[in-house]
Amino acid sequence: MTTTSAVDLIPAELVEQEERPPSAIRAVLQSTEGRIGLVLGLVVLFVIVFGRFFTPYRPNAIQVGPSATGPSWSHLLGTDALGRDVLSRLLVGGGAIILIPLVAVTIAWVLGLTLGMLGVYKGGVVDALTTRFLDLLLTLPPLLIVLTLIGGAGTSNLVLVASLVLVYTPRMGRIARGATQAVITSEYVQAAQARGERTFAILFREVLPNIISPSVADYALRITYGVIFIATLNFLGLGVQPPKADWGVMIHDHYGFFNIAPVATLAPAAAVALLSISLNLIADALTQHVTQAHREVVPL
Amino acid sequence: MTDETVLDVLGLSVGFVRRDGSINRVVHEVSLALERGKILGLAGESGCGKSTTALAALGYRPPGSRILSGASRVAGLNLLELPSARLRAIWGKKVAYVAQSAALALNPALTIGRQLTQPLAVHLGLRGEESRARQLELLASMGLPDPAGALRRYPFQFSGGQQQRIALAIALACRPDVLILDEPTTGLDVTTQARITALLRSLVSDSRIGCLYVSHDLALLGAFADRLAVMYGGELIEQGSTDSVARRSRHPYTHALLGAVPSVRRPRYVVGIPGRPPTSAVLGSCAYAPRCPYVLEECRTAHVELHDPGDGHVARCIRLEEIEKEPVAGRELASAPGSSALLLEVSDVNCEYRGAKSPAVKGVSLVVRAAERVGIVGESGSGKSTFLRAVAGLHRPTSGSIRLRGIELAPLAVKRPRPVRREIQLVFQNPDSSLNPRHMIFDIVARPIRLFRDDITSKHARAAVQELLDSVKLPSGLLYRYPAELSGGQRQRVALARAFAARPSLLLCDEVTSALDVSVQATILELIAELTEQTGTAVIWVSHDLAVVRTVAHRALVMREGEVCEEGETDDLFTAAQHPYTKELLAAIPELLPSTG
Repeated sequence: MTTTSAVDLIPAELVEQEERPPSAIRAVLQSTEGRIGLVLGLVVLFVIVFGRFFTPYRPNAIQVGPSATGPSWSHLLGTDALGRDVLSRLLVGGGAIILIPLVAVTIAWVLGLTLGMLGVYKGGVVDALTTRFLDLLLTLPPLLIVLTLIGGAGTSNLVLVASLVLVYTPRMGRIARGATQAVITSEYVQAAQARGERTFAILFREVLPNIISPSVADYALRITYGVIFIATLNFLGLGVQPPKADWGVMIHDHYGFFNIAPVATLAPAAAVALLSISLNLIADALTQHVTQAHREVVPL
Repeated sequence: MTDETVLDVLGLSVGFVRRDGSINRVVHEVSLALERGKILGLAGESGCGKSTTALAALGYRPPGSRILSGASRVAGLNLLELPSARLRAIWGKKVAYVAQSAALALNPALTIGRQLTQPLAVHLGLRGEESRARQLELLASMGLPDPAGALRRYPFQFSGGQQQRIALAIALACRPDVLILDEPTTGLDVTTQARITALLRSLVSDSRIGCLYVSHDLALLGAFADRLAVMYGGELIEQGSTDSVARRSRHPYTHALLGAVPSVRRPRYVVGIPGRPPTSAVLGSCAYAPRCPYVLEECRTAHVELHDPGDGHVARCIRLEEIEKEPVAGRELASAPGSSALLLEVSDVNCEYRGAKSPAVKGVSLVVRAAERVGIVGESGSGKSTFLRAVAGLHRPTSGSIRLRGIELAPLAVKRPRPVRREIQLVFQNPDSSLNPRHMIFDIVARPIRLFRDDITSKHARAAVQELLDSVKLPSGLLYRYPAELSGGQRQRVALARAFAARPSLLLCDEVTSALDVSVQATILELIAELTEQTGTAVIWVSHDLAVVRTVAHRALVMREGEVCEEGETDDLFTAAQHPYTKELLAAIPELLPSTG
C-alpha cells in the first residue's frame, strides 16, 4: 500500500494555469458584450463632452430654418417647432440628463451598499437604525422628495442629484441587504472575524464580491430609471429650464409634431437608448466575469 | 431467483443526458437481489452511483436520467417497463422508499395523522376508525411516545430521530415487501442512529421485508447488514456476506476503504486513498486501476468481470485471492508527547445564546499543553462547537477566563492583540462555506501571511503560498483557481494551508472531516497528524465522531448538554469509560472488525 502520496489526481487542463486570470476591467475588454458596450458608451460620451464644438448652428437660435421639418442637407436632423436646428441641440443636450443620473446613482449605489451591508453585519441597534431610516425614505413618494427639495432650494443640478440620491439609496440598500443576509452567516466571514479583520475589510473583501452581481445589474438598471426620472422632471418643468437644450425636454417638445418630423423625436430618444444599452452591456460583461468564479470542475 | 427474493435487479445501467445530448453513464450493469427478512447494505463514496442505483431499482427516473438497460423485478413485474400509473400503484404498497432527510421528506404543513392517512386510504382503502387504529399501531411499533398525540402534531414538533421514525412508519404503512433506505441516519447523532438501526433490524426480521440500505458508512453497514455490496465508479465491485467482506475483502478498493475507516476499539493511523474516483462508469478497463497499488497491465486494457471463487463472495478483481490475504493498512498510533509547557488554560467558561432556555456551555474548563492534541466529543447541541467558538474569539462567553501562555485573552478576536490572533487558528467543517467562493486560492492563503507574517514581504508571498500548498500536498497550478474548481478534499487542504500560513501554536478544528468521504477523511487526518507533529502545533479537535477523535487526539473530553461529563487520556477514556453517557456513546458506535492478517 502506498502511504506517501496523498495528492488528489486532477485533470491536466486544471494544472496548466499558472498565471493570474485577467482583472475585471480586462475581462470586460475581452468580451464581445463589454467591447460593444464600451464603444457605444464612448460614442455617447464623446457627444456629451465634445458635441458643442461641432454644432452647425447656435443651439438656442430660433428661426435658423423653417419650423418642424424633417431631415434635409442644411438641417441633417431637421428643425423643431421654433425653427431651431435639432442636430445642434442634440449635440449639446446630453449633459444634464446623463450626468445627473450617472453621478446620483453612483452615490446612491455606494451609500446603499454600505448601509445595507453594515446594517446586516452589525445587527442590533445599527441594523435597526439603518433599516428604519431607509424604510422612512421608502415611504415617501419620489416626486414628493423632489418637490420638497426644489421648493426649498430652487432647481439646480446639485438639487437634482441630491433628490435622486435620496430616492435611490433606500431602494439599492434593500437589494444589498437581502443579498448580504444570504452570505453573512458564511464561515468565510467568521474566518475573517477570527483573523481579527476590521469591519470594513470584512464587508468589502469578503461580502462585497459575493453580492456584486445582483448589485451591478441593479446599478445599470437604475441609471436607465434615473434618465427617465430626470426626463420626467424636465417634462414637468422642474429640471432643465428652457431654452437650454436637453434630450428629455427635446423628446417631449418634439413629440407634438411626431407625424410631421419623427426624426426630431427619435434622435434624442435613440441617444438615450444607446447610453442605456451600453451600460447594460458593460454590466452584463462584468456580471459574467464575476460569476466565472462559480464555474464547476470539468468532470474527469 | 428463489421464493425468498423480493426484489431482483439485473444488469441495471443508468445514464444522465449531458447538455450536448450525449449520455453520461453513471451506473453500469448492476445486479442485486433482496431477500425476505434480510438487509443488503450498499456502500460507496459520494458519486459512485449508489443512490442512483437505489432510485432506478424502484423504477424512479429523476429528470434528465435514462435507464439504459436492465430489469428490476418485484413480484414478477419489471418496474423499469411499467407506465407511471402502474408504478404509482406499486410504490408505497409493495415498494417503499425512505430518503436521507426526514425533515425534507415530511410535509411541514400537514399533521402526522394526515400524512399517514393518505397511503392507507390510497393503497388499502382504510378509512375512519380502521385507518386510525393502524396509524396508532404503526407509531407505537416505531417506539414513538404518545402515538395518539403524535397524530395531531406537525413534523417540526419532533426531533430529527423521531422524524425519521415517522418517515419509516409512513413507508411501512402498507406492509411493503421491499424497503429502500438512502442514508436514513446520516446527520443523526450516534445514539439516535443506534436506536433507529436496532428498530429497523427488528422490523425487517419480524415483517420479513427485503431491505436495501444505502450508506457511505462502511462501519455502520458492517455492524448490522446481512450482506454487503460495494460500488465504485458506477459498478458493483464486491458483494458477499457482511462478515466475509469486512474480514476478507477481495477488492483493493474495499481493502483500502477498510484501512481508511477509523476505529474506536482498535485505534491506529488511518490510511487515505490517493486520487479521485471517476465521475462516470469506466468501460474497457478496471475503473480502480489508476489508483490501485496492485494494478497489472491487463487491468488497464480490459474490463474486469466479477470473479466468484465459489463461496458467493464476488469481487471485480483479477488478483482477488492475493488481496484477500493482505493485511489492512494502518500503523500504531504514536504516543502522546511528554508533559510540556502549558499553552491554553480555559477555566469555568459559560456561554449563552440570547433567547435560549439554558446556557449552551456550562462551566467548562480545559488545559492544552504545547503540541498536544485534545479531542472534544459530543452529540449535536452538546455545546462543543460553541465552546470552540469562544476560544476562537467568535462567541463572547458570559463568564470564565481563557488564557494563552498565562495571558488573559479578550473575549472577541478583534480585541485580541495580533500575535494572539496569529497563534490561534480555526478550521471549519465545511470548506464550501469557509473559503470565499469569489477569492482565488492564492488570495485565500496569502491573506493571513499579509496580516501576520512580517518575515514574508509581499514580493515573496507567492513563493510562500506555493510552499504552503505543497506542504498540504496540493498539486501545483491551483494558485489562481477558485474554490469551486477543487474537490471537497482539496478545498479542506486549502483551508488547512490558510490556517498553517499564520504559523499557529494552537489549531482549532471544528468537525473538519465530517463533510468528507471516508477515504478523503483519512488523507486529511494523516495530513493533520503529520503537519502538527512537524510544527509542534497543539490541536483542539471537536467532532461528533468518537472513532475520529480516538485516532487524532491524545486526550479527550466528552460533552453533554453544555457540560463536560468525562475527561481523560483517549486510551483510558475509550477502554475504561466511567460515566454512563460515555458508555452509552461507545456502545452506540457501529464497529467493523476487519482482520489484520
